[in-house]
Amino acid sequence: MLVACGGGGGGGGGSSFAGLSAKDTATTDAAQPTRGVAILGSPIVAGAATTTYTTPANSKDAARFLSQASPGATRAQIAAMQAMSYSAWLDAQFASPRSQTHVDWLTAQDYGSSKYLGQVKGLDNTVWRKFISSPDLLRQRITLAFSEIFVVSIDGLNAYYPQFSVGYFLDVLEANAFGNYRSLLYDVSRSAAMGTYLTYVGNQLGDPATGSEPDENYAREIMQLFTIGLYKLNNDGTQVLVDGAPVETYTQADVSGLARVFTGWFNDTSSGTQTPAAFTQPMVQVSSIYEEGSKTFLGTTIPAGAKTLAGALDSLNRAIDTLFNHPNIPPFVCRQLIQRLVTSNPSPAYVNRVANAFINNGSGVRGDMKAVIRQILLDDEARNPFIGTTIAFGKLREPVMRFLNWARGWNATSTSGGWDIGDLSSAADGLGQSPMHSPSVFNFFRPGYVPSNSDLGNYNLNGPEFQITNESTVSGYVNFMQRAVSGQILTDLKPDYGTLTAIAADSGALLDEINLVLAAGQLSDATLATLKVAVDTISASNDAGKLNRLYAALTLVLASPEYIVQK
Amino acid sequence: MTDSSFRSGRPPVSAHFPGVQPDNASRREFLRRTGALSLAASAAPWALSLAAMGEAAAAAASTSDNYKALVCIFLYGGNDYANTLVAYDQATYNAYNSLRSNIAIGRDLLAQTVLSPTTALPNGRQYALAPTLAPLLPIFNAGALSIALNVGTLVQPTTKAQYNARSVPVPPKLFSHNDQSSYWQASAPEGASSGWGGRMGDLLASGNGNSTFTCVSVAGNAVYLSGNQVSQYQVASSGPVAVEGIKSAMFGSTACSTALKGLMNTPRTQLLENSYATVSARALTANDTLSNALTAANVATVFPTGNSLADQLKLVAQMISVSSALGTKRQVFFVSMGGFDNHEGLGGAGGAHALLLAGVANAMSAFYQATKDLGVSQKVTTFTASDFGRTLNSNSSGSDHGWGGVQFVMGDAVKGKSFIGAAPTLANDGPDDVGQGRLVPTTGVDQFGATLANWFGVSPSDQIGVVLPNLKNYSTRDLGFMG
Repeated sequence: MLVACGGGGGGGGGSSFAGLSAKDTATTDAAQPTRGVAILGSPIVAGAATTTYTTPANSKDAARFLSQASPGATRAQIAAMQAMSYSAWLDAQFASPRSQTHVDWLTAQDYGSSKYLGQVKGLDNTVWRKFISSPDLLRQRITLAFSEIFVVSIDGLNAYYPQFSVGYFLDVLEANAFGNYRSLLYDVSRSAAMGTYLTYVGNQLGDPATGSEPDENYAREIMQLFTIGLYKLNNDGTQVLVDGAPVETYTQADVSGLARVFTGWFNDTSSGTQTPAAFTQPMVQVSSIYEEGSKTFLGTTIPAGAKTLAGALDSLNRAIDTLFNHPNIPPFVCRQLIQRLVTSNPSPAYVNRVANAFINNGSGVRGDMKAVIRQILLDDEARNPFIGTTIAFGKLREPVMRFLNWARGWNATSTSGGWDIGDLSSAADGLGQSPMHSPSVFNFFRPGYVPSNSDLGNYNLNGPEFQITNESTVSGYVNFMQRAVSGQILTDLKPDYGTLTAIAADSGALLDEINLVLAAGQLSDATLATLKVAVDTISASNDAGKLNRLYAALTLVLASPEYIVQK
Repeated sequence: MTDSSFRSGRPPVSAHFPGVQPDNASRREFLRRTGALSLAASAAPWALSLAAMGEAAAAAASTSDNYKALVCIFLYGGNDYANTLVAYDQATYNAYNSLRSNIAIGRDLLAQTVLSPTTALPNGRQYALAPTLAPLLPIFNAGALSIALNVGTLVQPTTKAQYNARSVPVPPKLFSHNDQSSYWQASAPEGASSGWGGRMGDLLASGNGNSTFTCVSVAGNAVYLSGNQVSQYQVASSGPVAVEGIKSAMFGSTACSTALKGLMNTPRTQLLENSYATVSARALTANDTLSNALTAANVATVFPTGNSLADQLKLVAQMISVSSALGTKRQVFFVSMGGFDNHEGLGGAGGAHALLLAGVANAMSAFYQATKDLGVSQKVTTFTASDFGRTLNSNSSGSDHGWGGVQFVMGDAVKGKSFIGAAPTLANDGPDDVGQGRLVPTTGVDQFGATLANWFGVSPSDQIGVVLPNLKNYSTRDLGFMG
C-alpha cells in the first residue's frame, strides 16, 4: 500500500516510501500475539485491529504505558498501574477529581491584586504547579497536549491580567480534557485568551465608509489549526487526491464569510475592565460592532439574525456545528493527538481506528474525548511491545516533557509553595521550551515537520519535536537538566531522592531504577554497562558521594537518546 | 468602544511569528529527480558528467576570489506594506488614506522621510519611509539601500485577470502564514525539505574550508537554510552553547564526562534516536570550533540593546569578522523577528507596528555600520523577507493577510537609492488588487532571489536547475539591483 501525504494537520510530511523494501517485521501466525503488520515500502509497522496486550506483563510495560499516558510517574505510580489492566487505569483516571484550578490558585496567591496589573507574574508558577504536582496524571497529559493544538501564548498577550487570562484558558482545556471536542471548541472560542491572542476581541463588522472589514485571524486559524486543516483527508488521515493533487478544504471566501461570526465579541467587563474577572468568564457581545447579516462559508449559510448576544451565540453555535461535523475533523485531530501521546508516524489504520472512535463512541456520540483517548492508548499499535522496538516507532520527548518526567519521577515539590520555576524558554540556559510560551499559534513545532538531512528525513517521516532540536537546544537541555537535578538551579523545587540515595552504593541498581522510572527500561544493556563504569568512578562512601552518583546517573540517563526518544 | 480602550498598552506580540519554520514535503520530488538523473546518467554518462564538472568548476571559481555573505532578515507574521513604505504623492496618499483612514499615517508625519531615488518613479509617484524607519534614510541616500515595491510568492508572472480566472498556477495556500513563509524561503509550502539559501549552500559549501558554517541560523530552524546536502547550523545570539558536563568533570568525574560525550556522539540504529544523535554530535564539534574562533571577533560597532534582531545581527557580524579563521568564503545567514501579524496595532506613532519597524531599522542600521567598520560592506548583502504583505483595507485597528509586499536590500554591492519593480496602484479593485487591497505581486521571489544568487556567484544554469525552481518561468532573471 502506498500512502499519500499524511494529513494529520499541516506540513506535508506523511509517508511515501517507494522503492524501500519492507523489513521482515510482520508475522501472521495466529497462535502468537501479532508482531504487527508490515507496510510495504515503509519502516512503519502497523498495529493489529485488536490487541492481546490488555494488562502490563511487567513493570516496564506499566512504565511504558505511563510514558504515553502521563507527564511522568513515580515508582509507586508505576507499581499501582502494574496491578491493574490498562483499561481499568483509564477508568480510574477518568473518574479522578480535578485539583485546584489555575484561577483559584492565582486568586488565593493574591495575583489578582492591583500590584500585578498588566504583569505576567504567576502564570508560570501555576502552570508548573499543576503539570508537576496535580495527581490526575492523564488529565494533565491531555491538557498539555491540547495546549499544543489550541495554542495561546502569554508572550505579548495584551491583557490587564494576562496570567488570569491564560490560567483560565488552561482551566478550560483541562475541564474539557475528558469531555466533548465540540464543547472544547465552543469554550475556547469564547475565551478571552483566544479572543485576545487571535485578535477577535473587539472585532468589528465591516464599514464601507472606511473600507474596514472584519478581522479574519480567528476564522482562518480555527479552520486551519483547530478543526479541519488545509486539505481534505480520508478517515485514516491520508490526503484525498484528485488527479494526484490534494484538495483544499476552504477558500479565502470561506475565511471572509466565517470571520463575520467572530465580530462583536468582547471581554465580560461587567465587574470592571481592570479586574481578573474580565479575563475569566466567557466573552460577551458589544452588539453595536456585531455583524448580524448572513454568513456563508463551507457551503453553509447562517441566516441573518438579531444583533444581540443571543443572535451572536446562535451564529457561533451554527458555525461550530459546521466545523465539528466536517469529515476532516476526526482524522485531523486524532492524528495529532496520537503524535502528542504515542508516535510521530502512526499507521493510517491506527489513525482510522481512533478517528472512528471520534465519530462514534459506541453510543452514537461524536467527539467524545474519553473514547478517543481510550482508543489511542489501548490500540495494538500503542501497546504491542514488539512494535515499540521497530526502528521508526515512537516520538521525541519534547524538552518540557523530559523536565516533567524527572520532576514527577521523584515527587518534586515547591518548598515555598509558590512554584518559583519561571519561564524556561531560553535555549541557552533553559529548556528551549516552556508551556504557554509558544512563539506563535503554530505551536513550538508542527505536526508535519520532517527534519532535513536526517534519518527521518531520508524516509520522509514526521518528527514534530525536531523542529526545536538544534545545536543550541541539545546542548542547553543537558546543561539545564544537570543543574536542575543537582539543585544548582530551581532551588525552590525539591525532589525526593530517598529511594535513590538508599541504593546509590549499588550503581547497577541505581541505574536500573532511573532507567525504569524515566525511560520505561528502554536503555539498552550496552548503554547501562557504559554508564555503570562511569558512575562507579564516583565514590559512594559518604552522603555527598552518593548524591553526586545519583546526580550523574540522572543526568546521563536524561541525556541518552534511548530515553529522549519515547518508544 | 474600540478594543484599545481596555488593553494594557503593552505592544502586542502577534500570535504568528514562528521563530521556526516547518520543513520538508517533497523529498519524493527530490528522489524522483535523482532517480531521473541516474537514468539519464546511464544513457549518457559522458555528457552528464561533463555538465556536472562544468558546474562544479563554475562554483569553485566563483568562491576563489573573496568572501561574500548573504543575510536574510525574516519578518514573521506578514509585514504590512502600506504602512512600511507609505504613498506620499498627494493623489496616491489620498487613495491610501481613504482605504484605511483609521490606521493611516498622517501625511505631515512623512515629510522627513520622503525618498528621492536616483531615478524618479513615473506618474509623479512618491514614497516615504514610515517615520520610525528613519534610520534607513541615510543608507538609502548613500546609495546602499534599494526597495522592492511589490514582491511576493509566485509560480510564474501573474496578472490580476489570470489570478481571477485561475488560468495560471499560483502558490498553494496563499494568505496562510506557515505556507507562504515556507514558499518565500523554499519555493514550496510548509513541508518543503530545502530552501533557496540552503540550495545555494549545497553549491558553494565546497569552497568553504569548514562547510559546517555555510548556512547559519541565529533564529530557530528555518527551511530557508536547509540544503539537500548542507545542514543548517543553529547558534544562539549569545553564542554557541558549550556542554558543561563535558567541558569540566561531571560531578567530579571525568569518566562521566566521557560517557556523556559518548551518548551525544554515538550513531544509533533507531531512526529517531539517530536523528537526534546527529544533531548533538554536530553540536559538540561545531560549538567548540565556533567558540574558539569567536574569541578573536572584533566588532566594535555599537548595537542597540533590548533588540533581539540587533542581538542576532551582532552575532552575524562577529562571525563574519572571523570568517577567515573559520575558513568560509560564502555564508548564508538567517535572522528573524516576529510580531508582524498586525491584525491590530497598525497606525499611531507609538503603535505596535511603528515600534517593530523602529527595531528593524535600528538593527539594520547598526549592522550596516558594522560591515563598514569591518571593511566588508561590499561583501555583505542583507535583505528582508516576510510571509506576505497585508490588505490595504483595514480591520478595526490592523489589516489582514495579503500577498505582495515591500522588501529592502542593503549593502554597498547594492545599486541603492532606487526602487525595484513597479509601484502598485492603490485602489479598491484596482489593477493590482485581488481583494481588500491584496496585491498580486509584480516581482516574483524567484527573480528577487536570482538577482542575489547571481551576485553570490551561483551560475545562471544552477539558479534555474537547482536553486530557484520557478525561475525558468521568467524572462527577466536578474532585476539589476546588484552592482
